[in-house]
Amino acid sequence: MTAATQTLLLAQRALVQFPRNPILLGFSLMPVLIMYLVFGGLFEGVTQLPGFPTDNYFEYLAPTAVLLATVPGIGNAGVALAADFQNGYFHKLLTTPTSVGAVMLGRLIGDCVRLAVQAALVLLLAIALGAHVATGVPGALLMIAMGTLLGIVTFGAISANLAIRTRDAAAVQAIQPMAFMLIFLTSAYQSTDHIDSAVLRTIIELNPAEHVLRPMRELMLSGYDWGEIGTGFLAIAALGMLALPLTARNYRRAYS
Amino acid sequence: MTNSTPAASAAPRPLDELVRIARTERIATGRRAADAIVLENLTKTYQDGTEAVRGISLRVASGEAFGILGPNGAGKSTTIGMLGTLVKPTAGRARVAGFDVAAEPAAVRRRIGFAMQQAGVDDFATPKELMVLQGRLHGLPKHEANLRAGLLLQVIGLEEEAGRRLATLSGGTKRRVDLAASLMHLPPILFLDEPTEGLDPRSRSGIWDTLDQLRRQLGVTLVLSTHYMEEGDRLCRRIAIIDRGNVVAEGAPAELKASVGRDASLEDVYLHYTGRTFDDTRRAA
Repeated sequence: MTAATQTLLLAQRALVQFPRNPILLGFSLMPVLIMYLVFGGLFEGVTQLPGFPTDNYFEYLAPTAVLLATVPGIGNAGVALAADFQNGYFHKLLTTPTSVGAVMLGRLIGDCVRLAVQAALVLLLAIALGAHVATGVPGALLMIAMGTLLGIVTFGAISANLAIRTRDAAAVQAIQPMAFMLIFLTSAYQSTDHIDSAVLRTIIELNPAEHVLRPMRELMLSGYDWGEIGTGFLAIAALGMLALPLTARNYRRAYS
Repeated sequence: MTNSTPAASAAPRPLDELVRIARTERIATGRRAADAIVLENLTKTYQDGTEAVRGISLRVASGEAFGILGPNGAGKSTTIGMLGTLVKPTAGRARVAGFDVAAEPAAVRRRIGFAMQQAGVDDFATPKELMVLQGRLHGLPKHEANLRAGLLLQVIGLEEEAGRRLATLSGGTKRRVDLAASLMHLPPILFLDEPTEGLDPRSRSGIWDTLDQLRRQLGVTLVLSTHYMEEGDRLCRRIAIIDRGNVVAEGAPAELKASVGRDASLEDVYLHYTGRTFDDTRRAA
């Protein structure tokens, strides 16, 4: 049996779990939808500012909502991993000819499918509220893919590392709100041109999530900006190159 | 009248069917070796400096039931974890089914089953799903994994629970499911880490009966760690008593007891070789 088949079997296991845990499905999507509706209504007036890229704030906010669904949402993979450590199932899997990488990747892929479906639901809500995806279905899929990948290399990696180090699902759950900080410190709610604070603008510019959010917003509002899309994927790749060795190192230190 | 009675009586019993499958399809024991398991000066020192296992040497013959006995903290789980490729030895070597546990872990894993001290199950799955996944990860085709899961569930008497979520089942039932999952690929060697820890006497006896039956009929080499002396006495042909990471006595339970005195128990054997009772050691731990 190849590592790819093992990974898919384990991803399937994660996918079977989700409908059996309706609380997870409901409560991971609910805050995103509420934030989307509340912030969309509250800040609608922002579109009146000169130079604002759209007159429909829900349209501006849709890529943010996708990130809100994918980045904190991937934390569940870490929580599930910690639960597997706690109840011994992780080690049970390692007594089969399955690699650690397949166990972790299987979990992540399963969660990614869940998040992609949830992100698609968010976009459907945006469309129902009058938003329009300029690049159509292919652009929407690219947007969801970018959001999901950003989730994996940021919060997915952080929560997996915490799961490895603490083996405590509650500890992994506790850091979930930190994921929102990663998104709030971007142009998620307001374009950077309209932010007065130079310090905040610098922080936003340094935040890798901003470089993923920008092309996502372009896909939503105007079209394919391949330069921005390339930068977004570069930011994801750079974070991945940090996250993967760190996770492997932590695993070795914890279990050798 | 229906003809169901003759048909039912002609149907093979689940364990017989598993024995038939094991004879024709079980993975080969491994490289030709007189002993199923060989430990040579096996050592584990954790990163915090804890010397859990201090140079253990042992041999377990094919088809033998071997017990590693000792109080909590003696090094039993670390030893069995190293044999199951879950813990890396820091010195010495161990060969399982002829393969080195550190250098050839994948070959070892294909030939062993491992039931953990803590029943390693996924609470969201059903017993059958868990077992089928375990079988598939060992490379069984889907239909074969389904067939074996059905047979093993019958052997452990859990056909009715096959479709229930594991979260709703008792600790003893989860242990039995974990044990059955460890047997999906019909391994020639089975490791059991404290298989009846925390179970009530009835559940414990049920697991012992199942293990006895499996060992006799499937010819599995059984290595179990336990701190229940009674368990070692009941299941194992030979035992090693471990104290503070060292083997302090090894042999058949009857021989060890006889070496200490008439009517001696394994508890007395432990006291004789370590100068402490099991309870002393437990309290110190």
